[in-house]
Amino acid sequence: MSDEDRDALPFGVIGIDHATVTQIYNRTESQMAGLSPDKVLGTAFFDNVAQCMNNFMVAQRFEDEPELDAIVPFVLTLRMRPTPVQLRLLATAAAPLRFILIER
Amino acid sequence: MTQAVSEEERLLEFLYAAPVGLVEFEMAGEIAMINPHAMKHLLPLAGGHGASNLFAMLDSYAPEMRNMLERFDAPRGTVCEGQRIIVDLDRQNDRDDSKVLACTIVKLDPARAIACISDVTTQVAQERRLKQAETWFASLLNDVKGYAVLSVTSSGAVDSVNASWERQTGSVPSAVIGQTLAEIFPPVPAEGGLAMGEQLRIAKRDGWHLEEGWHYRSDGSRYWSQRLLAARMRDDSELIGYTLVLRDVRRQSRDVDDLRRLLTRDHLTGAANRARFQQVLEREQHGWHENGTPLSLIMIDVDHFKRVNDVYGHPIGDVVLRCFAETIAGALRPADLLARLGGEEFAVILPATDLAGAVEMAETLRGLIAKMRVDTPFGKLGITASFGCSTVEHTHELLPAADAALYIAKRKGRDQVHAAGQTNMAA
Repeated sequence: MSDEDRDALPFGVIGIDHATVTQIYNRTESQMAGLSPDKVLGTAFFDNVAQCMNNFMVAQRFEDEPELDAIVPFVLTLRMRPTPVQLRLLATAAAPLRFILIER
Repeated sequence: MTQAVSEEERLLEFLYAAPVGLVEFEMAGEIAMINPHAMKHLLPLAGGHGASNLFAMLDSYAPEMRNMLERFDAPRGTVCEGQRIIVDLDRQNDRDDSKVLACTIVKLDPARAIACISDVTTQVAQERRLKQAETWFASLLNDVKGYAVLSVTSSGAVDSVNASWERQTGSVPSAVIGQTLAEIFPPVPAEGGLAMGEQLRIAKRDGWHLEEGWHYRSDGSRYWSQRLLAARMRDDSELIGYTLVLRDVRRQSRDVDDLRRLLTRDHLTGAANRARFQQVLEREQHGWHENGTPLSLIMIDVDHFKRVNDVYGHPIGDVVLRCFAETIAGALRPADLLARLGGEEFAVILPATDLAGAVEMAETLRGLIAKMRVDTPFGKLGITASFGCSTVEHTHELLPAADAALYIAKRKGRDQVHAAGQTNMAA
């Protein structure tokens, strides 16, 4: 899938590598969060952008479950407002990237 | 204009990355702004509550926060600083220490406040280790006059005491020689402390046991004491007796004493908090697995409490909760534990009690609460409460079972007791 296709999706797409560094940050997510991709790409996702996911509900699951496809009801803090969302966590052991899809 | 956008973005980036939790909220807890670090700590606490209200999220772990803010009369200023919130979420990881958060609340104006939340688990663990070390070093370095020492036989009876015993407690040696430790250090009602037999067992197993608590002098006054119980062994195998070292720590460990209260008590009612409740429940369930001692639980909910708050206001609601907790605690036995689990939700752990015993206790408590009257500026106020009982012989899931029974008691008309497993036929 190309970057353009990803940017056109109606939900947020975040791709992180096995060191939790952000490699993909689509336009939908960038607009929702109010952060431009160049601020986010290449940084540690759970430390800089999404500390709220840095607990057993999300970050720990990527650590514990190499094969993961789960939908988690969650509350993000987009632009400092509590925002209920659905997260879909995707990981397979063979793939270099893990994905977090965010639907509002 | 682009300048303004990038300024906003810089600010957002700063708040997203800040390694400390920040929340701006209204007096009733509705969140206006919250950063990711705060959500990281709060969302796991929210359980079934919505994540849009700070107090709703904290309700199970720190219901006192709401009261603190309500009682703060000034239009602005610091409401609390570093208030500790113990959370016991990650039980499956088998860690000894629960997570501890520190929360500081500052009132900005009559309608808004900000909370700052940080994780202080490591500091609390260090404080505990420091306290243990301090106790040991003090006993090595200090003048030994400050230590009452009792020599105890292997069966738990005192056979000699030193001169400090009389200085510290005001009781003459002949009054305690021949008595058992359980008679000299009776458990305090409704504290959920370890029975003396259990302390002796631990000391025999581990070599020593350290306990803290109130000790009463012969004139009825009390002081905060640390008790070090050490087993005396011959050749590491045969128990020949115990030595108990008793120390008055009122002056040196004021802060530790406060800390312990902060960590185990509900600020408003003095009942145990949720973390302490979980700890004692686990300990007692373990006892049931080990030796089949029965164990029961009562869940209690004040009936129509929201109405009390709405009609009379929160300050009166607080007084009602305090009276309620005092009434219940006064009727419990020494080993029972009263805990506040939420706004008007309480639980009582009843060790060595079967379901019939729990129902009998719940009926007694129900009667006492129904008779209780609270003085208010509007006259005397009476309340009722509903009770749900469960027992470990029927289920390992004591809390959900008692909760379900409580729900049935509510549905059947409140002010009554329902036991798990009982048929739902109305009487």
